[in-house]
Formats: sequence, structure tokens, C-alpha cells
Amino acid sequence: MTLKRKLILICFLLSVIWLIVLLFSLSSGTFELTIFKDFNSLSEIDRKVLFGIRLPRILMASIAGGTLAVCGAALQAMFRNPLASPFTLGVSGGASLGALIAIRLGLTQSIIGFSIISVFSFIFSIITILFVYSVSKVSGVVATGRLLLAGVVMNFLFSAFILFIQFFSKFTESLHTLKWIMGSLDIIGFSLVWKTALLSIPACLVLLSMTKDMNIYSLGNDVASSLGLDIRKMELKIYFATSLAAASVISVTGPIGFIGLFIPHILRITIGVDNRILVPCSFLLGASFLTTADTISRTIISPVEIPVGIVTALIGGIFFLWLLIKSKKEVII
Amino acid sequence: MNSIISACNINFSYLNVPVLKNIDLSIERANLTFILGANGAGKSTLLKILCGIVRPGTGNVLYNDLDIKKIQRGDLAKKIAYVSQETTFGFPFTVKEVVLLGRSPYIGRFEFERDSDFQIARGAMDLVGISHLENRIVNKISGGERQLVSLARAIAQEPEVMILDEPGTFLDLKHKSTIFSTIKKLTYETGISIVVATHDISSVMNRLGSTILLKDGEIFCSGKSEDVLTEPNLSEIYETDVKIFKNNDNLVITANPLN
Repeated sequence: MTLKRKLILICFLLSVIWLIVLLFSLSSGTFELTIFKDFNSLSEIDRKVLFGIRLPRILMASIAGGTLAVCGAALQAMFRNPLASPFTLGVSGGASLGALIAIRLGLTQSIIGFSIISVFSFIFSIITILFVYSVSKVSGVVATGRLLLAGVVMNFLFSAFILFIQFFSKFTESLHTLKWIMGSLDIIGFSLVWKTALLSIPACLVLLSMTKDMNIYSLGNDVASSLGLDIRKMELKIYFATSLAAASVISVTGPIGFIGLFIPHILRITIGVDNRILVPCSFLLGASFLTTADTISRTIISPVEIPVGIVTALIGGIFFLWLLIKSKKEVII
Repeated sequence: MNSIISACNINFSYLNVPVLKNIDLSIERANLTFILGANGAGKSTLLKILCGIVRPGTGNVLYNDLDIKKIQRGDLAKKIAYVSQETTFGFPFTVKEVVLLGRSPYIGRFEFERDSDFQIARGAMDLVGISHLENRIVNKISGGERQLVSLARAIAQEPEVMILDEPGTFLDLKHKSTIFSTIKKLTYETGISIVVATHDISSVMNRLGSTILLKDGEIFCSGKSEDVLTEPNLSEIYETDVKIFKNNDNLVITANPLN
């Protein structure tokens, strides 16, 4: 089977999975409602719930999950390390702090369609990536230990700042922020969906256009540049694109962890390491995964909705533990 | 026009320490050129400058009389292949995937490898004798085998010039003889110009091609291998007492510390 066929086949399968997840998710919720019945028999309220509340939320989950997974795959390629992700690098923390500062300062306006919250979020993410990258690189090679340590330290620092801001907030504000910090897809209407997509989809397309370069890059800087790759240009593009994509999502949903880490990882184990297949498939699987996680979060103890970040962190945490135990036998980390 | 690459007045410093000083050289077309020198003599840096991945502080490198800076990266990648001392891979690529990456200069951004690319990659693997490894994970084979994979990748690139940084380092005797006979074949049968930096003097000692001796970032002497590789010259660049003995066609080198 040629690679092209493999790509088309796997993408088709993953798209079918996503569609099934979408239909399933549309039909589940506190409000008893299924779309598997005559469309005309739906009442006005039914339609509002389906298309005004559930559909935008599912689309948001798909965009957020897909984007975070693509960011993870791209960052892993750039750091040449399977443990890089927006979450482990501290980028999620940075993006959250940036967004929170903008929210607290009351900067909810937007400039030419982009909210200032996203802009703050983006600035903080890119500073974090640049910092972690330069700290973890020793004589041209990213050292795994330094990388993870730098990421953890950045996360702690950002958490401290976030808690500090929390501490001085009014009770109602604080509760709202807390829910956001835990990662939540609780949105109403499509406007936030389009605003997020406007930034994250182009950024993801830039990353998708670089998948061949990511393969070459894995041969090391010297060999990669002898194969025609402009290393600096590629690194800059990945810095900007991943920061923009992650920030556009996180400024709306809050930091939703681990998707960027384990979606690419699972795919690497199952379909191989070629980034031309891995990156697009990461988007599709990430979209299905976060939509599923969100459906679980809003139905498992219905009518109470638990923040989706808790669900993904639980699954991600268990996954990480499994990785640790497995890596004892087979050196992955 | 007998030289394919020439460098004039190359100077290079790293962190204000001069690494290369006033290097002038030319690499002959369809010939083997060895670069010898003690550790830290500047061999690796010189190789990277010759294939255009490091820009010299001063001076120019010409490829076919064209300034290398003015050639597009993608075009240069079809002409000059580079094999580094050791390659580590962050991800579990298979041997075949790595060798196929040698075809990437010929493949567009959104294209996949064609059948002809697979054939060329397979031919390259056959040539260095690693076909049986094609589906193995490149991180899980031996260091020596990995070097053969890198060489196959460079061959798949179908370059006019191949620049190899210490290709024999991790190889046992069998693999070492494979690699050097492949290099000879590529040079004298296929007509590729090959530059090899090496410590392994014995492999140079059948006195093929030409040799450049580097000492402290300067060219100590250069010319036909049989003229350059003499006891006094080697003793001088390695700062040790080198003796050369002849055994049939092979030469045996011994080194004794001075004093």
C-alpha cells in the first residue's frame, strides 16, 4: 500500500469515527433528546438545544482537541522528543496566565476581530516556548531532562501567578475563573467557535504544510540542512504557529491537558512516525477524543457538568503512568 | 575545470576562537579526497563549510565555479550529500524511511515518494548491504549499522559530491571494509566526488586519491595521497612518532609517543 493510500484510508476511518462521535454527542445530554428520529417532529426548544447549545459545543471540542493534538505533534517534531506538548512545555500555563490577566484587566474588546484575551494568551505562549527551548537546548541538542524540568518549572510559576490573581478576586469572579482554569467547553452560540477557528485553523494548516520538513528535521540539524531545510525558518514557523493555535484555543477553553501529548503518541504506536500521516491524523483523533471526553463530562453525573479538563487530565494521567511503567522495559523516555 | 568544489581564503571562528585559518583548497572531480588531522584540527567544521551548511566567517566556497551562497538550498541538496559523524533519531523511523529521506530534495512539499524513489532507495540499501535491515527501527540497530544507513541515505540523494565525516568510526573490520570499498566504487565507477574526514589512517594508506593534512586549523600540506602520507608529515600533525611499514600492498602504521 502506498503512503498516499494509507493516508487517505486512515483519514477516512478517523473521519467516520468523528462523525459517529458527533452524532452520539448530539444525542446525549441532560435534556433527553435524540436526533435519531423524524427531524420534523423536533420542537422549537429541541432545535435550540441541538443547534444552539450542543452543536457549537461539539464543534468547539473538535477544533480544540484537533488543534491541541496537532500542536503536540509539531512540538514533538521540533523538540525531537515525544514528551513535548503544549501542556508539558508550560505553554498551556503561559497561555492561561496571559488570558487571565487580560480578563482581570477588563480587556474584553477585540482588535480587528481578534480578542485581546487571545492576543495576551499568544504573547505569553510564545515567550514560554522560546524560553523552554533555549533553556533545554545544550550545544544544539534538546536534553529531555532539562526540557521536562523547564516545562514543570514554568507550569509552577504560572500556577503561582494564577493563584495569586485568584486570591485577590471577588468570590463570584473567582469561581468563574476556577471553572475556566480546569478547562471547560461550556460555550453558548457559534461566535466563539468561529473566532477560535479563524486563528487556529490557519495555524494548523501551516503546520500541516510542514510535515515533510518535520521528517527531514528528525535527522538532526546538520543533515537536515544538507537536505535543503532552512532550520531557522522552520523553527520560527513552528514557534509562531503552535503558539497561535494553542493560545487561540486555550484563551477560550482554559488549559485542557494531555491531548497534545498522548494523541500523537497513540498514533505513533499504531500508524508509524511519518509526520505526513501523523499530523493530519492527530487533528482528527484529537477532535474525536475531546468531543467524547466532553460528552462524558456533561453526562456522567448529569445534571452536574464536570469541567472537561478533569476528564482529560484523568485519562492523560493514567496514560502517563502506563508510559512510565512500560518505559521500564522498553526505553521510550 | 577539474575541481568541483573550491574554497578560497576560508576563516572561521567559534566563540572568538579561530577554528580555521586561511584555507585554500580544491576538491577534484570524480576523485577521493581525504582530510586528516588531529582531534580539534577543524576537520568537521571544514566539511560543513564545504557542503554549505555552515557559512564561513570570511572567504568563499565555489561549487562548479558558482558561489555556494547563491545556489538555492533545495538545488544544492541534489548536488552535495553530507553524512555526519553520528546521527541520533528522536523517533522510531525504520531504516527504509530514513534512506527514503535522501529522496526528499526531489519530492515536492505535498508529494509522496514515487516508485522510482523506492527503487533508488532499495538500490542504495543493496549497495551498502543493509537490505535485510529495511524494516528495522533505526534506533535499535548497532551504531555501525546506523552509519551504513546514513551512507545509503546519502547515496539515495544521487549527489555529485558526497561529504563524509568519519564514516568508519563505529564500524567493525567487516563493515569498515564494506564502507571503504563502497566509497571506492562510488568514486571510480559512478564518478561521484567524495570527501572523507578520517582518523583511520590505515584506510587511506593504500594511497588512493589525494589527501589534505590539517593542523591547528591550517592546511599543513596537501597533494596526492602517496606524496603527502609520509612518516615526517604524519608525525608532525599527530605530534607523535609515526612509523609506516609495508606489508604486501597494505601499509601498517604504528604510533609511539614522543620521548
